Amino acid sequence: MGTATLEVPVTQKTATSARRIKVEIRRQASPDAKATTETFEIPYRPNMNITSLLGEIALNPVDVSGRETTPVTYDSNCLEEICGSCAMLIDGKAMMACSALVDRLLGDKPDKTITLAPLSKFPVVRDLAVDRSVLFENLKAVKAWVPIDGSYDLGAGPRQQPQIQEQRYPLSNCISCTICMEVCPQFNDATGFVGAATIAQAKLFNMDPAGSVLKEERLRALAGDGGIQECGFAQNCVQACPKQLPLTEAISDMGRDVFVQQVKDFFTR
Amino acid sequence: MAASAPPAPPSTTRRRGVQPLRAAEGHSYLWRRLHSLSGIVPIGAFLIEHILSNFETWNGPVAYGKQVLFLNSLPLVRILEWVFIFIPLAFHAGYGVYIWLRGRSNVNVYPWAGNWGYYAQRITGLIAFAYIIQHVWRQRFTGVDLPHNPGMAFHKVQVELHNPWMLAIYVIAMIATCWHFAYGIWLFAAKWGITPGDRARKRFGYICAVVGTGLCIMGLASIYAVVWKYPNAPVNALPDQHSSLTLPASTSLATS
Amino acid sequence: MAAAPRIIVIGGGLAGLSSVIKIAEAGGTVDLFSIVPVKRSHSVCAQGGINAAKDLKGEGDTVLKHFDDTIYGGDFLANQTPVKNMTAQGPAIIDLLDRMGVPFNRTPEGLLDFRRFGGTLYQRTAFAGATTGQQLLYALDEQVRRHESEGKVTKYEGWEFLSAVLDSNGICRGICAMDLRSMEVRTFAADAVILCTGGIGAIFGKSTNSVVCTGSAQSALYQQGAYYANGEFIQVHPTAIPGEDKLRLMSESARGEGGRVWVPRDKNDKRVAKTIPEAERFYFLEEWYPKYGNLVPRDIATRAIHRVVYELGMGIDGQPMVYLDLTHIDRATLNRKLEGILEIYEKFVGDDPREVPMKIFPGMHYTMGGLWVDFEQQTNIPGVFAAGEADYSIHGANRLGANSLLSCIYGGFVAGPKAMQYAKALPAQSGDGGHAAEIARQKQINQGLLTSSGTENPFRIWRELGETMTRHATIIRYNAGLAEADAKIVELLDRARNINLSDKSQWANTSFAFARQLFNMLHLARVVVQGAAVRDESRGAHYKPDFPDRNDEKFLKTTKVSFVDGAPKIEFEEVDTSFIEPRPRTYAATA
Repeated sequence: MGTATLEVPVTQKTATSARRIKVEIRRQASPDAKATTETFEIPYRPNMNITSLLGEIALNPVDVSGRETTPVTYDSNCLEEICGSCAMLIDGKAMMACSALVDRLLGDKPDKTITLAPLSKFPVVRDLAVDRSVLFENLKAVKAWVPIDGSYDLGAGPRQQPQIQEQRYPLSNCISCTICMEVCPQFNDATGFVGAATIAQAKLFNMDPAGSVLKEERLRALAGDGGIQECGFAQNCVQACPKQLPLTEAISDMGRDVFVQQVKDFFTR
Repeated sequence: MAASAPPAPPSTTRRRGVQPLRAAEGHSYLWRRLHSLSGIVPIGAFLIEHILSNFETWNGPVAYGKQVLFLNSLPLVRILEWVFIFIPLAFHAGYGVYIWLRGRSNVNVYPWAGNWGYYAQRITGLIAFAYIIQHVWRQRFTGVDLPHNPGMAFHKVQVELHNPWMLAIYVIAMIATCWHFAYGIWLFAAKWGITPGDRARKRFGYICAVVGTGLCIMGLASIYAVVWKYPNAPVNALPDQHSSLTLPASTSLATS
Repeated sequence: MAAAPRIIVIGGGLAGLSSVIKIAEAGGTVDLFSIVPVKRSHSVCAQGGINAAKDLKGEGDTVLKHFDDTIYGGDFLANQTPVKNMTAQGPAIIDLLDRMGVPFNRTPEGLLDFRRFGGTLYQRTAFAGATTGQQLLYALDEQVRRHESEGKVTKYEGWEFLSAVLDSNGICRGICAMDLRSMEVRTFAADAVILCTGGIGAIFGKSTNSVVCTGSAQSALYQQGAYYANGEFIQVHPTAIPGEDKLRLMSESARGEGGRVWVPRDKNDKRVAKTIPEAERFYFLEEWYPKYGNLVPRDIATRAIHRVVYELGMGIDGQPMVYLDLTHIDRATLNRKLEGILEIYEKFVGDDPREVPMKIFPGMHYTMGGLWVDFEQQTNIPGVFAAGEADYSIHGANRLGANSLLSCIYGGFVAGPKAMQYAKALPAQSGDGGHAAEIARQKQINQGLLTSSGTENPFRIWRELGETMTRHATIIRYNAGLAEADAKIVELLDRARNINLSDKSQWANTSFAFARQLFNMLHLARVVVQGAAVRDESRGAHYKPDFPDRNDEKFLKTTKVSFVDGAPKIEFEEVDTSFIEPRPRTYAATA
């Protein structure tokens, strides 16, 4: 290429081996359609992730038997594990497809078949795409915001100790991927449990100097049906969270605050 | 609220999947917290008392008989028994089964320690529940009426444990119950915000493990005492006491 | 005024959400359209921070210095009036975000902490760890959710903008959009429309942008008569992590916190990076640009890396990569200030950047160009406004790091109220305002795609487009290469008409939606390429070795491109230089 142009240095050009990756994908044409399974074989390249596998299928949507099929529908956006879109079940476990690297999934078993399936606790839209809007409804229910007077210039905000910021920041890293809800044994149709993500957000805003004006409302909301009491403390949320949020700590803290609020309400309201 | 409802939301179909939080609605919070609390007091407290009392078997049929006599001599004992034992137990067990039914354990997919704990809490709870039903039925409400014949307690248990199947059930139930209780205390502290931090939870975990193991060893020792340490105990260890409610001369532990 | 003005905002990133907040506050009703749930918009990817001259470090920073840095960094191509306004509003915007609860890093005294970014000598960048964009977007998202729960905002998430609805006078009366689940196409009435649809990274195949950053909406509007301005100015970020599916950004804040860029002095040096002694390392940015060092503006750093790798042949192990080294900084500081981005590197590459120098290379990152707007953020189509990366107005020929978040919020804060003002004065439409005609046109396009029985796969065409654009229209540009690229795009457009969708279903059909975007990407790619071809000079991010100098006489002008007879038509417009006299841009001086 000489000095001419920008050539993106990607390892794909060096890989010529005939090795192929086997992927089995659960597919479902619509919310009410029957689920089926399709198997694909994709040429191996080092450093592939699951989203690049799905991209390869879109380029050549033909299954392992040579039958023509359709590109797989799935949610994705940033591809760097910050937008929270691409959560799915990979080898049965909930994770982000973008940061699930094929080499790591296969480990020392290069012939293993990788399986992909939609998250199991949310209604399927199509293939690997599911409807996770329940989380956003929950965030509304706990008023996860700071009720500022207005967006006009009212001067600097209140001072805040760095220690408070250091507690709030990790909670604010929640990417709404819903993996904490997917892996939670208590998050299901029967309980209608709110899930760890929302509880953590309630804590985040209760800790904000201005956001704490809604503290009591949030604590009362979390004592509603499906609230914090449904937590069974299996702690899967904190294990599975791709952003390592201190979710169990948030649940514990909010558990105390909700209880205190309920007692207070019982004697004063 | 209805007046300011947003105009024509884009999705008109009824929501599928898990329902959103019913903010500040319903009473499940109260029931769920009562369930949690009842496991500590009075049920947990009673469990400790029961295992401590049973441990009197280590000192022989007479000592045990005296302990049973003492307990039955407490004022308003029949009311205490119902208010602090039977009713809370029934509630804790019944609501516990309801909680179990609504959970979707996935320890097969996510075999992590906490998830095993979640699963074990449900299994041990069910074991304890089944055991307690037969235990209360056979030991408290059928056969020799122990409140009126405290001296016959040791023998009654010995006969029961003579059956190797029963013995196995008692051992399993003892372990399950102690596990359920010890992990229950740990869960209580975690959920009620007493131990929010990871390190606090870990530290408290050791304490709970010691408590649970201690209780379990005492319980198993009591079984050992009944089956092997004092074989062929008399049918009535306190023949002259019958149903009289006089207090023993001194607390039984002191005399041993 | 009978009813409150009804405004449509397209795009739920920082610019879109900030305009929504302003409209909702002013009593307007907003319909907010977004392809993805707004909380998943590309703004979350912004890492390093947001600029504002609050001067909390006792350095004597001022708004005017921020203004001057921005104009100078943009090589004087930006109109100065909006830039001046933006930098003046900077401190108030930071204060507002702080009040919204953004967890900005703090000083021990509890004040906002600031760090230094590229193209300035001041610590002017407020930050929340290394995920500032995410934190800012969430804060605005939360405010919008609050307005939504109060009924002032209706969200249409999972809907894609197809086109504006124009009446017989060319005035915008709403939009035509498609539900990406049911594939339903319908029009929505509005008194004004604000387009905040972000970047165009997908045109370059792999970039640091998100999947939705196709530029499709801007292109659709351009094809409907809107001017697209300065399209040839494409920022290639000097430090990206090469990847299989995208180039992941390694934030400028890594250098802002002291990261150093180097290669071994000996190109055959095969030793492990950490074992190479200091004297045998070539810190080329520090040597070539002693005043700014590793914090020269992005276009300069990118070209320097390019030169080291391709002209001097000094890339690591002969590969096009250089080291970005943080290992001399202690772990605690790194974790406190940069953890988010270090985790990205760790997750996707497998090495711990606290221990091992990162291997990085430039990657397409940002478009300075965008829809042409006036100083009130209105495009030349009456009633259509634009803000954020989708408009061209702030960054000139090169954007300074941490100015993008500010420009998004500033743009939204101008566009929202201006759209309200416009809507209140808007006369009623005659007839149906063009709705029926537009929906018929869009349905016809869809029908054409679904019945097309050619042989081409849209994703394959896209891959070829990306390779062509990356080769010819990024760091170094030659007129011959640009001509080749344009011819290639024309060929791809032709082939795109011969598409065969393997999926013809009408439910959540992503390849169908993608095929529609592809056409728009191809048309916009021609704008970029032709704009670059015509501009025979080097300015900011636009660099032609055959014309290595800036030529103010001929090209201190905004490129304005319109869509005429199916092809770009280029004209030029004078640049507003009413405050700062253009001067040579050189960061090499040691003064």
